[in-house]
Amino acid sequence: MAGSGKAHLRNSEEIILRVEDLTMEFPAGGKKFVRAVSGISFDIERGETLAIVGESGCGKSTLGKAILQLPKPTSGSVNFQGQELTTLNKDALRDIRPAMQMIFQDPVSSLDPRLSVAKIVDEPLKIWDRGDEMWRSNKVDELLNAVGLDPALVRDRRSYEFSGGQCQRISIARSLALEPLLLICDEPVSALDVSVQAQILNLLQDMKERYGLTLIFISHDLAVVKAVSTRIMVMYLGKVCEISAPDELYSRPRHHYTHALVSSVPIPDPNVAARRTTLEGEPPSPMDPPSGCRFRTRCPGATDLCAQEEPQLHEVSAGHYVACHWPRP
Amino acid sequence: MKLGNVKSLRKYSIPTLLSMGWLAIIGLIAVLYPLISSSDPKATYENDIAVGPFTNGHLFGTDTNGYDIFQELLHGTRLTLLVAVVAVGVGGAIGSLIGIFSGYVRGKIDAVVNVVFSAILSIPNLVLALGLVAVLATAPDVNSTVSSWRQVFVVVLSLTIVIIPILGRIARGATLSWSNREFVTAAKSMGAKNSTILWKHIVPNVLPAVMAIAFLAVGVVIVAEGSLSLLGVGIPDGNSWGAVLAAGRNDMEYTPHVMYFPIICIALTVISCNQIGDVIRQSLDKREARI
Repeated sequence: MAGSGKAHLRNSEEIILRVEDLTMEFPAGGKKFVRAVSGISFDIERGETLAIVGESGCGKSTLGKAILQLPKPTSGSVNFQGQELTTLNKDALRDIRPAMQMIFQDPVSSLDPRLSVAKIVDEPLKIWDRGDEMWRSNKVDELLNAVGLDPALVRDRRSYEFSGGQCQRISIARSLALEPLLLICDEPVSALDVSVQAQILNLLQDMKERYGLTLIFISHDLAVVKAVSTRIMVMYLGKVCEISAPDELYSRPRHHYTHALVSSVPIPDPNVAARRTTLEGEPPSPMDPPSGCRFRTRCPGATDLCAQEEPQLHEVSAGHYVACHWPRP
Repeated sequence: MKLGNVKSLRKYSIPTLLSMGWLAIIGLIAVLYPLISSSDPKATYENDIAVGPFTNGHLFGTDTNGYDIFQELLHGTRLTLLVAVVAVGVGGAIGSLIGIFSGYVRGKIDAVVNVVFSAILSIPNLVLALGLVAVLATAPDVNSTVSSWRQVFVVVLSLTIVIIPILGRIARGATLSWSNREFVTAAKSMGAKNSTILWKHIVPNVLPAVMAIAFLAVGVVIVAEGSLSLLGVGIPDGNSWGAVLAAGRNDMEYTPHVMYFPIICIALTVISCNQIGDVIRQSLDKREARI
């Protein structure tokens, strides 16, 4: 029962990004629109790691890109360090970009195959004309070392000579070159093998501490998210379902959708019988979402009220917000 | 593709090496023609009119005017290649510029460009070139003649216009696909300007695809130029391979060898260009497959 509402927004000095009622629509032929993100609000404190989870197609990646204004959202506000990004002009927006960087889902496609690794990592520095040639070259070596690649070995090679995990390391090195405050990671490990996933997650954690980053971590994998986040936001069909600290969310999911997601996480113990709540059916089309609560068509606890009225986010326990008329106990 | 390095040449197949060799030879002939040949291609050998190949020092024989075919072909290499290289070079540059710009900005501009390209491409190459030549190379007064330099210029111009949509479309398609890659979004998120993205990311990735088709286009242009000559509106006075072919057309029954040699030259060149275009395309496909 995905809903809107802003009860969960905090009022703190430390808020570095505040998103309100963000909506992103794409034309879908004729006069129809796909509303990939519809009215999402959330905020992040400095040093936090906010995880955004949800199934494929729920608008997570679109949300990540909309924060960076790539492209500009249809409506709503994105406030980064007190500056409203949606109304900034091109040059002012460009000046802010170094402070917000992004790591993309497909590590191979996010690196230009014609450029050497040194040029790829150097690109943001060159765009902003930081230091002289010598300084930049040292900086590139330092960044490559930081992400666990040997500069002497990788500098002159091209991205397609590397494995997915190595490409993601290069991508991380590039995103850190401008020393951003906020790093948006769009499914940074979903294209990687499990063993490599752990390495990249640890690396992100290290980098976060080393550079004092604030992270937005977009993922569809709750097991991955649990390891890294300080807060989790669950999305369904372009809306927020639930926001909470990870421990609370895993031990006591209040939203029926979160419950289904949490129970789908495999338990690595063959002696424990899986108790799963499987969801029926497919997510509805975002071109024609259900009335009221968007999750009602697949929700085991849906009633008539859910079809009539959209649930708003409300606090069920300290720091735990849920958008559901009939939250689980 | 470093020439001169024997080891790097070894990775190419024999047909590819032969193609490179042939193109190198005709390229050298075209550039060094004044050094290679001191004899006048229009000298008439009155004692050897319409003799077959390998007679009296005429390697490819002579035609009914007494012109030496070998000398004519050597001389014609220059204009033939000039027409092809200029038409493909200029047409490719203009086409790429339009295609890359329109594919990058998308939207209405791209829709219009696409329709225009499609419309031009729907006219057969030769018909379009013929139409353009007919319009551009006719003198307003029927009795006055059009200077031969103007005729050459008009042929080049017409073939350039034929090439623009062919290569423009390739550039546009490649740009559409490359500009969707995440490294372009990444560059934007870093604050790269559109000009930087176009120059550093799009152009270097699009260019090889255009190059591959450009080699095929050289073949198309050489054939089209020959066809125009055969129809009597191409390069005049036997100054290109197509023109030599056209000059021999009238006496096909008596001196067929006059037509054989220009045809062989044209065919070898077109086949070589296609072969090299294919090699470039295959190496691109291989790289793409790895990505």
